[in-house]
Amino acid sequence: MIERHKHLLVPLPQGPVFKRLMAYGKPHLKWILIAFLLLVGGTGAEILGPILIKIFIDDFLTPRVFELQPLIMLGAGYLLLHVSAAVMNYSQLLLFQKIALRIIQQLRIDVFAKVEKLGLSFFDQFPAGGLVSRITNDTEQVKELYVSVLAIFVQNIVFLIGIFIAMFVLNVQLALFCLVILPLIILVMQLYRRFSSKYYAEMSEKLSQLNARLNESIQGMAIIQVFRQERRMNREFQKTNKEHHDAYFKSIKLDGLLLRPAVDFISIMTLVLVLSFFGITSLNSPVEIGVLYAFVNYLDRFFEPVNQMMQRLSIFQQAMIAAGRVFRLMDHDELAPVKQGEGDPEIKRGVIEFRNVTFSYDGRQDVLKNISFTVNEGETLALVGHTGSGKSSIINLLMRFYEIKQGEILIDGVPLKNYDDSELRKKMGLVLQDPFMFVGDIAHNIRLFDENISDLDVKEAAEFVHADNFIDRLSSGYNTKVGERGTTFSSGQRQLISFARTMAKKPKVLVLDEATASVDTETETLIQAALEKMRRGRTTIAIAHRLSTIKDADQILVLHQGEIVERGTHNELLEQRGLYHKMYLLQQGAEKLEGKMEEMKAEQL
Amino acid sequence: MTDANIPIGSTNNQWGMNNTPLIEGSLYNSLVTDEREVHSMRVFLDLMWYFKKEKWNYGGGILVLALVSLLSLLPPYVVGVIVDHIDSGTLTEEVLLRWMLLLFGVAVTVYILRYLWRILIFGSAIRLARLLRNQLYDHFSRMSSSFFQKRRTGDLMAHSTNDIRAIEQTAGAGVLTLVDSITMGGFVIITMAVTISWELTLIALLPMPVMAYATSKYGSMLHARFTKAQAAFSSLNDKVQESMTGIRVTKTFGYEEEDVKTFKKESDDVVEKNIHVAKVDALFDPTISIIVGLSFFLSIVFGARYVVMDELTIGQLTSFTVYLGLLIWPMLAFGWLFNIVERGRASYDRVSALLKVKQDIVDKPGASEEPPAGDIEFKVNRFSYESSVEDALRDIHFRLERGQTLGIAGRTGSGKTTLIKTIMRDSDIEDGEIIFDGKPVDNYTLDALRASIGYVPQDHFLFSATIADNISFANPEAGYQEIIQAAKLAAIHDDIIRFEEGYETIVGERGVTLSGGQKQRISIARALLSNPELLILDDSLSAVDAKTEEQILQALRDIRRGKTTFITAHRLSAIKHADLILVLDDGKIVEQGDHEELMAGNGWYRKMYEHQQLESLVERGGQSS
Repeated sequence: MIERHKHLLVPLPQGPVFKRLMAYGKPHLKWILIAFLLLVGGTGAEILGPILIKIFIDDFLTPRVFELQPLIMLGAGYLLLHVSAAVMNYSQLLLFQKIALRIIQQLRIDVFAKVEKLGLSFFDQFPAGGLVSRITNDTEQVKELYVSVLAIFVQNIVFLIGIFIAMFVLNVQLALFCLVILPLIILVMQLYRRFSSKYYAEMSEKLSQLNARLNESIQGMAIIQVFRQERRMNREFQKTNKEHHDAYFKSIKLDGLLLRPAVDFISIMTLVLVLSFFGITSLNSPVEIGVLYAFVNYLDRFFEPVNQMMQRLSIFQQAMIAAGRVFRLMDHDELAPVKQGEGDPEIKRGVIEFRNVTFSYDGRQDVLKNISFTVNEGETLALVGHTGSGKSSIINLLMRFYEIKQGEILIDGVPLKNYDDSELRKKMGLVLQDPFMFVGDIAHNIRLFDENISDLDVKEAAEFVHADNFIDRLSSGYNTKVGERGTTFSSGQRQLISFARTMAKKPKVLVLDEATASVDTETETLIQAALEKMRRGRTTIAIAHRLSTIKDADQILVLHQGEIVERGTHNELLEQRGLYHKMYLLQQGAEKLEGKMEEMKAEQL
Repeated sequence: MTDANIPIGSTNNQWGMNNTPLIEGSLYNSLVTDEREVHSMRVFLDLMWYFKKEKWNYGGGILVLALVSLLSLLPPYVVGVIVDHIDSGTLTEEVLLRWMLLLFGVAVTVYILRYLWRILIFGSAIRLARLLRNQLYDHFSRMSSSFFQKRRTGDLMAHSTNDIRAIEQTAGAGVLTLVDSITMGGFVIITMAVTISWELTLIALLPMPVMAYATSKYGSMLHARFTKAQAAFSSLNDKVQESMTGIRVTKTFGYEEEDVKTFKKESDDVVEKNIHVAKVDALFDPTISIIVGLSFFLSIVFGARYVVMDELTIGQLTSFTVYLGLLIWPMLAFGWLFNIVERGRASYDRVSALLKVKQDIVDKPGASEEPPAGDIEFKVNRFSYESSVEDALRDIHFRLERGQTLGIAGRTGSGKTTLIKTIMRDSDIEDGEIIFDGKPVDNYTLDALRASIGYVPQDHFLFSATIADNISFANPEAGYQEIIQAAKLAAIHDDIIRFEEGYETIVGERGVTLSGGQKQRISIARALLSNPELLILDDSLSAVDAKTEEQILQALRDIRRGKTTFITAHRLSAIKHADLILVLDDGKIVEQGDHEELMAGNGWYRKMYEHQQLESLVERGGQSS
């Protein structure tokens, strides 16, 4: 991880995170309101139930008056209330879920789109695995926040308010008494939140230590064994395991002290309060038993939502941290270079010129030093050099993946930065060393997203690069499925497909990064023939690993540590007897070496 | 008011009476009751050894749980009594005080008891997790490399974390739900039937089977839909994975926006599948609410008739409805129980299968415990890995006197590493033997054999600890002087003191990132610290530059006098000083001799040596140094 990206690991603080999360609800305001109204309606209907029973007890049962008409009304009303509560609650539950899912989708799209906009400099440094987990796993955790925390909190709080309203309607004095439990519950919640965040943090820290130790030991078991440290490592693991256990046990104790047992204690004490109130009142004046019934019934329902909310506090904390990481990434500014200057120049001829280009990725070490060269229309320039000599950097700059600070790159005499990105992508065909395959079929892998490329164009492109040979032999031809990373195809076949992909766009300039992976001779011949055809009449810049493939290049640059140390044609360079000559000998020698081993083995037999 | 409190981490498994949208993953699998799950209950039998071991804790916990269930019946009873007193006007201050004191007593007792069973049952459950984890770790440390080659680290990790967690849930929440639903459900029904009215109990319970049926039906629907939603999520995950790894292609063609569009489509699918889930999910609460409401309705209607007929008091009727509320939890807990034990059983099976794997390299009876020190002779006719039919080594015969150095060269996959692993007894040889100090290597205990060997592996693995801890890995008691001595020999001391924390620098993800060459040299220092009888360097100098390589080799020649050293290398400069050099190909020796002899021939060794000379020249940009 480089310095520039380290801050991405630290989640944003919770305050701004919460605000931004709430802002995501804005486009759904109308539906949130509807869901809320349904929630209030459903809760109201549900809360009215006990009041109807109270009326039945006080007005009918206690005085033993049974008139059929009102009773049927009452019964029907009760059932109707329940059914409508059920319908409203169902709609409300579903709506809240839908809204939450839509919000998460938007969040995901936003972070994905943002990441796609980042420059390649970002992707070259930041591990892909980390990005994937941000975009999917972290947002999945945020989903929990909406779906199982916020929705539940809103629903439960509305429910609690409803119960209190009902209590006030029934008996103001007693309801006031019952209000006392609110601060008590909030106090317990606060206490729990304070301690649990500490205990949970400790526990998850111990758990990650435990897992890290386990993971490391599994990977390094050979070392542990060969150095005979099994007993010591066992002891140390047991120690970490015990520490985790102790932290876990502590949080179980905390849950036991402050979660459900505590809430249940409060609930029985509230029952004592209500019963005492009625009891004492009844000593002096008559009371309505129905009211008592309703109160007891409400209290019964009161504490479940409280329990639920308390148990979700820890999900809340985790989700906020995940959201903090997602927003960090969304705020990261390391965008791809953008077009500068007026007008829309077009690439017509494909003349490329580097003028005194010096470049550095980190601002400290120059990977390219004062590079100058010109490639005329239709000519081929080859870049050779050892790993780290700067060949790939030249391509990175030419493709405008990175912005240059010193020197100039011109295409058809116009500075590279004045071209629109789409013009560059259309006219400059880059064939990457790693022929990446997308899930889909072969046609999709050649066409990618360009709707203007017809099936015929796809076929033509494949024929042009000799990929049709193997594609036609497949039973589904161009519709043959390509699995993850295209592993069902050989590396040579993948290369041919990626050639076709580039040629389908009919680029003006061809940029080749030759693959190092070895392929069978038959495919290799096809590849060479294809490359030869692709280059014909097209300005080409090629990184070559096999010097034999660039014998006919118009110009060869030999790079060493970011500098051009030799330049000329193949024959000129060989005559110079410099670095190129040695590289050439080396490659020929390598082939001979392989032959030698086979020869020796043959002799032994 | 239930006892459905779940141990940490699964805060989402909460069934309540009202307003409980059942959304989280762990619930999706619940309530699916079919035969398969009944079999799952056998996991309790599998765990019997542990329940027996912790019989006091579990026995005590179950007793306390039952007691809590019993005491939970008291508050509704008191409500009934008070209501009746008020109704009949017989309530006095004294009566009220007595009952209220009783309730207060119940509240305090139940609080303590609830705390207590958590400690007893959940405490035992997490001790089981700890025990199993220790067992697994110990077991891993006895397994040979073939065990780890056959299994992915991720899978082994999953067994040690997720599976153990599921077992822990079974031994904790599983026991709780089983006991709680049986005792609570039983007590409540008995109380209702005995103290109030068995007829009314029957009537009130009429709608309950519908609830059990409906929830189990929803459960299986939910399970199917949730599986689809998960598949959609995982395909979204794959999409992101592909986009992030293929970003270069996307940017080359300028298709970023189109890619975002595809992502949108995939995420639409995720949303759609999840809404599908939510549609069933949202059914639970309203259904439960309607059925419970119906149950209440029936109790009130029929209860009122009994009251009118004077078979029941109003107080009893009130208590009855409160009892009814207490029944909802046990009904739901049963469905949840199946979910827990089903996962627990699968996990327990996996973990015990893992623990049953036998150690494949064992000490022979009567094996020497004296670490070997002396000449080494290879007499290997054939050696192959169990997984492969082809021979990994053939006809490896050579002899090395104590104190000599062996160099091994050859192409990738020619058998260099296999050869050195055989002397470490990584796998046993079926045809042939390796004599070390007069005895075949399998006549020593593994511990004695390993005591004589210092090994520097190809993949230079370091632990996330300080550099000093890593170097003194084989001997944690080693003092700083020894550590520094080893570091100097491995030519890494100068690098180390340049770090801010010096030898106390933490290595790995949480600490400083070392280069491949630095890691290699620390691994060399680690092996040198114990000054082993046999030092094995498996291509351990590949990432250091030529100058440092020469420095290390020189140091080795000095300190390894009288001790044997094996070196495998791609770069022949690392082995050219060896007393004996073997060139391997396809597991066979194709050339052998010392450097001069091999250079005198016209074989692969000489060609390779010359080739590498030229290569280093090119690397230097053509300037000879």
